[in-house]
Amino acid sequence: MLLVAMRNLICRPLRSTLTAAGLALAVAVMAGLSAFGEGYRRSLDSELSRMGMQMMLVPLGCPYDAAARVLKGRSLEHSLPEAAVLEARSDPAVAVAAPMLLASVPRPAQGRTDLWAGIDEAALQLKPWWDAKAGERWFTDDDSVILGAEAAEVEMRSPGDLLYSPEAGRSLRVVGVLARSGTSDDSLFFVSLRTAQQMFDSPGRITAVAIRLHDPEMLREASGRLQEARGAQVVTMTEMMGAFLNLVGSVRSLLVSVALVAVTASGLIVFNTLLGSVLEQTRDLAVMRAVGASRVQVFVLIGVQAGILTGIGGCGGLLLAALLGPLIEQIVRGMVPLAPSGTLLSLTAPVLARGLGLGLAVGLAAGVYPAWQASRVQPALAMRLE
Amino acid sequence: MQPVISALNLSKTYRRGTEQVHALASVSFEIGAGELVAVVGPSGSGKTTLLNLLGCMDVPTSGDLSIMGHPTRGLSERALTRLRRDQVGFVFQHFGLIPTLTVEENIRLPGLFSGKQVKHRAAELCTRVGLDHRRRHRPHELSGGEMQRVAIARALLNEPHLLLADEPTGNLDSVTGGSIISLLQELTAQGLTVVVVTHNDRLAESAARRLVLEDGRLAPSI
Ligand SMILES: Nc1ncnc2c1ncn2[C@@H]1O[C@H](COP(=O)(O)OP(=O)(O)OP(=O)(O)O)[C@@H](O)[C@H]1O
Ligand SMILES: [Mg+2]
Repeated sequence: MLLVAMRNLICRPLRSTLTAAGLALAVAVMAGLSAFGEGYRRSLDSELSRMGMQMMLVPLGCPYDAAARVLKGRSLEHSLPEAAVLEARSDPAVAVAAPMLLASVPRPAQGRTDLWAGIDEAALQLKPWWDAKAGERWFTDDDSVILGAEAAEVEMRSPGDLLYSPEAGRSLRVVGVLARSGTSDDSLFFVSLRTAQQMFDSPGRITAVAIRLHDPEMLREASGRLQEARGAQVVTMTEMMGAFLNLVGSVRSLLVSVALVAVTASGLIVFNTLLGSVLEQTRDLAVMRAVGASRVQVFVLIGVQAGILTGIGGCGGLLLAALLGPLIEQIVRGMVPLAPSGTLLSLTAPVLARGLGLGLAVGLAAGVYPAWQASRVQPALAMRLE
Repeated sequence: MQPVISALNLSKTYRRGTEQVHALASVSFEIGAGELVAVVGPSGSGKTTLLNLLGCMDVPTSGDLSIMGHPTRGLSERALTRLRRDQVGFVFQHFGLIPTLTVEENIRLPGLFSGKQVKHRAAELCTRVGLDHRRRHRPHELSGGEMQRVAIARALLNEPHLLLADEPTGNLDSVTGGSIISLLQELTAQGLTVVVVTHNDRLAESAARRLVLEDGRLAPSI
């Protein structure tokens, strides 16, 4: 039975391939989407937890926007008074309060924007995993600058080199290059907080304060107290995560509806192909009925063809999803806020199973009617058809 | 001896819209084992219709038909399929080979549906109809006469008692047609019952008996 079904498919390679390809595309889109959802959550989760903080003090305004920008190392329009750091440090629940001043410096000549971050020693407590690939992992004086791995590559600087900064009005010395961490740190220029305040004309101002608590359980009471700080507001990482996932969720449901259209379309293609193939094989099917095939056997024969097509299409789709994953990721990255730097697509077993299951369901559903039509072919036609 | 076919008042009426076509009207006859019977008559006289009924491919509008002593009246579609599969072999004017299968696979096709082991028998039949060297060929690589031999081998696979052929020489030249006729004669000589619809005078003359149809009725035998 398998042989007869295969032969029929092989003898019409173009049509079989196109059908399987249509299905593959739908499965790929579907698998890619659910993989994206999982991967995004996972990678956001790990990125946020690597930051080693539970909440952030940001200037008044849209807290999520502010937090997202800070997490990416982008500067804000508004700033906080440096006093907010002291206020945070005096709170009993706070273990570490790390101030930072962020500034973006457009370099139109090079067509890029340099991101500068002014930090103080508290940052080291927040990120104990900070590691220098070369040179020092901390500033030696006020003229020191530490480069993220990518920033160092772009600037083509290594420890000991000078880096002239028009903002500072003098040359800074590169004292260290950080090991690649896969976070936004990779593309930053780090200087001491004081230097940054001087460079960017903001004495006594900071962009945000990252806060780690002694105990994450104290999140609610601490955020209640710190909310009172003047000119500042609190964003907790849990809130951030929730807000992002919501946003991502709505992007995703848009994509899912697109994918559903694709899946439906491919279902129709399989349906059309099989129906066409049944029509074309009418004489053969009638002959089979005449030489003793039962209606069930004819039904199974067409069903097997549908099964083979969907099986190939489904597996091809998963392969496609794996191959095209990075491409989809690029597109999607542009559509969601705070795309974490880790991989967004995670093709886990359940994701693969879901994609394949969907493909099989569509393919077989599309095969039922043609198979039923085939089983109704009258054997007497064998005598009359050429 | 029990007749292979016994038909009593067989009628078949086709409905074409509101019009009714009496393709067969009250036909009765018996055919015994090992007979070669030619069904002749003008076009549209009901020859193919009769063959379809005899092969259980269609059911009569009225009348009774028994094949090898099995009455067919009231049988389910499934039972008719089984009767057809086990007792009857078919040869078509247009050969009816599956183009995507090789000669050998075509011959083995009925075995696929009966679930019997047919490998040996298929090889035997291939030799028997003289197509050993063509086993792995596709139908489109064969001549008309060769295709009809494949069709006959396939019809014989399930060891039927009855072979039905609708104009088996209709698409062949007279020489290849002649070889098919001799093959059918050999088969009857070995005890197979063959009913063949034909316009071919040579085939009709080689038959021991003729059924003449005219407008769906059996003319008195000549
Ligand atoms: N499925 C059908 N529906 C309606 N009418 C049919 C059908 N099959 C056959 N007929 C009619 O029944 C009559 C007998 O047809 P049949 O095919 O049995 O003739 P035939 O003797 O085999 O003719 P030919 O020598 O041309 O093959 C014809 O009038 C035909 O038009
Ligand atoms: Mg006819």
